[in-house]
Amino acid sequence: MNPLILTIILMTVFLGTMIVMASSHWLMIWIGFEMNLLAIIPILMKKYNPRAMEASTKYFLTQATASMLLMMAIIINLMHSGQWTITKVFNPTASIIMTLALAMKLGLTPFHFWVPEVTQGISLTSGLILLTWQKLAPMSILYQISPSINLNILLTMAVLSILVGGWGGLNQTQLRKIMAYSSIAHMGWMTAILVYNPTLTMLNMLIYIMMTLTMFMLFIHSSSTTTLSLSHTWNKAPLITTLILITLLSMGGLPPLSGFMPKWMIIQELTKNSSIILPTLMAIMALLNLYFYTRLTYSTSLTMFPSTNNMKMKWQFETKQITLLPPLIIASSLLLPLTPMLSILD
Amino acid sequence: MLKIIIPTIMLMPLTWLSKKNMIWINTTTYSLLISLISLSLLNQPNNNSLNFSLMFFSDPLSAPLLVLTTWLLPLMLMASQHHLSKEPLIRKKLYITMLAMLQTFLIMTFTTTELISFYILFEATLVPTLIIITRWGNQTERLNAGLYFLFYTLVGSLPLLVALISIQNLTGSLNFLLIQYWNQALPDSWSNIFLWLACMMAFMVKMPLYGLHLWLPKAHVEAPIAGSMVLAAILLKLGGYGMLRITMMLNPQTNFMAYPFLMLSLWGMIMTSSICLRQTDLKSLIAYSSVSHMALVIVAVLIQTPWSYMGATALMIAHGLTSSMLFCLANSNYERTHSRTMILARGLQTLLPLMAAWWLLASLTNLALPPSINLIGELFVVMSSFSWSNITIILMGANITITALYSLYMLITTQRGKYTHHINSIKPSFTRENALMALHMTPLLLLSLNPKIILGFTY
Repeated sequence: MNPLILTIILMTVFLGTMIVMASSHWLMIWIGFEMNLLAIIPILMKKYNPRAMEASTKYFLTQATASMLLMMAIIINLMHSGQWTITKVFNPTASIIMTLALAMKLGLTPFHFWVPEVTQGISLTSGLILLTWQKLAPMSILYQISPSINLNILLTMAVLSILVGGWGGLNQTQLRKIMAYSSIAHMGWMTAILVYNPTLTMLNMLIYIMMTLTMFMLFIHSSSTTTLSLSHTWNKAPLITTLILITLLSMGGLPPLSGFMPKWMIIQELTKNSSIILPTLMAIMALLNLYFYTRLTYSTSLTMFPSTNNMKMKWQFETKQITLLPPLIIASSLLLPLTPMLSILD
Repeated sequence: MLKIIIPTIMLMPLTWLSKKNMIWINTTTYSLLISLISLSLLNQPNNNSLNFSLMFFSDPLSAPLLVLTTWLLPLMLMASQHHLSKEPLIRKKLYITMLAMLQTFLIMTFTTTELISFYILFEATLVPTLIIITRWGNQTERLNAGLYFLFYTLVGSLPLLVALISIQNLTGSLNFLLIQYWNQALPDSWSNIFLWLACMMAFMVKMPLYGLHLWLPKAHVEAPIAGSMVLAAILLKLGGYGMLRITMMLNPQTNFMAYPFLMLSLWGMIMTSSICLRQTDLKSLIAYSSVSHMALVIVAVLIQTPWSYMGATALMIAHGLTSSMLFCLANSNYERTHSRTMILARGLQTLLPLMAAWWLLASLTNLALPPSINLIGELFVVMSSFSWSNITIILMGANITITALYSLYMLITTQRGKYTHHINSIKPSFTRENALMALHMTPLLLLSLNPKIILGFTY
């Protein structure tokens, strides 16, 4: 794509999210969402094939529906409170509809069906933007209306998302679908704690974005989109396999890596609010996620997968540039001792 | 405590910066020095614990385990030299780094005061062990073994995290130094029963309890020698140590909650000992014997009398040294015949008589011959369980008999009889191997002269 056009489109995506996060008028928030949606469609379609077109169409339809539901909730809120300022939503109907709309944007169960299919149809870099940047805007709105969200709906969606994210990823060999299901599960963790302590939602979002960025960078480096092509990495760049191992175990939430920090904090907050069975269930269901991450490490770093001799030549031709990998690796694996610094997120 | 932790962490840069012919020498020497420093912790002036800081302490329970951990690292390094000799330099360094990382986590686990920190480090020991088993094991079954090991332990320990946090809410702090003084009886309710279960299941899986022991034979058999040694000697004891610490907070539910686990342990130790009699795989035999010995420790911890705690602690140390030595002996067989089948390498006394002496000593301590510390541990456990209920003596007695049976079976199969014709070209024992066995056996024999240092905090 022409670099100038690409810059303008990326700026529009960025601006859309910024408008959503910084506005205090509901209409501007809706406008920000629409700007974001329209501008990201060309990015999703960077590779011009029918699969990408199908993915972009699905994304557009779901997000547009969600925006319309959001608009309806805004109007109902306007009718009942008479003002456009974003504060907690006083009317329960409007609050429920808004929660459902934002859940559709994030990809929470039962609105998760678009996430794997859209992520699979687009290129790795577009998938990266989809799974990290696009989550910021809806999450910021959820953060701002968090005092008024109906707890039952949100917790049901969260727990079902963790379940679906765990079970759905079990049968996948395509890396983009694995990352999509991982995104669904992590969104479940984030929304579960939203009502009790929104700071932890932001913490989880931060750590999740860093780990997902790292994973995608490592995938982009070897241009691999299936487990099989990732398993050739030991031939080409053995250090990448170690980094994949560390980041995947961190995503699975194993101490002492930093992926354990959000899970630990969320379990602590939920237990302090006297719900004991819920965090236990959530923690055990997160083990399903850990299973398919571990399976991925088995074929990548912990065994030397059989490959043909042609693979050994491939390293001479690969020159993909990965940005910012060392700080991302450190952030996604070594941050656990810095847990007391949570207070800066308040 | 930092004087032990920081040198262990610095073992990792030592490996990466050493020259090619010095990596083994450097790491073994420095880890031996670190173990000498840890010996000073055994000097506990009174029955109180030595508090080094708010975060680390050592009391008569954790000091022997700490000394065992630091003693085993040089032994693991010595044992791994042969099977890593053909690997490229970077992989050797990675292996040693994994071992040093595991050692750091283990040292911190045994000495931390805060229970949540104990939990995080307890889980953290899983990651290097998983990598050692899966990356450097020898058969394809190691992938399955790693998965079983990881998931059994994690499913057991996630409820422990929730339980620890809810206890922290109730009592305000999980710092071990404080809990000793704040301890109150748990009120009787259904949720406290689940709290008891949540706290104990993690350690039951780790020990392992008989019904949840499926991961252990797989993991022990598929691990390389250092992995087997550290699993058998230390990681199982993490479960025992955790149980000993946490039962302090869980009275009085333990009086009735312990019955199912006591029954499982008492029956399980006989079952696993009997299975040992029918094993063809040498490492599998030693693995099942570990389950059987640890079942004794579970019985001892759940009975909660002073003598049983002494027996549990002594048994943990004794079993650590004995089991690790047996795995080293089995590995010396494996390196020569590349098979774990016992009958493929029989009649070794004729060919390797000094190694036969080590086999004899190891088997004798395994069957708890007086006056070794294995006997002291088992005897205290049998006596205290007899005083708890007279009938258990039947099961305990049967267990001791069957333990003797399979230990002697293992000794006779591998050492006595006519040797097979295909092993008359094996290499003779290396000095390194003889040194390894001596370094295992010497503490074991010396401790029988002064067992009070390993008898724990109820002495």
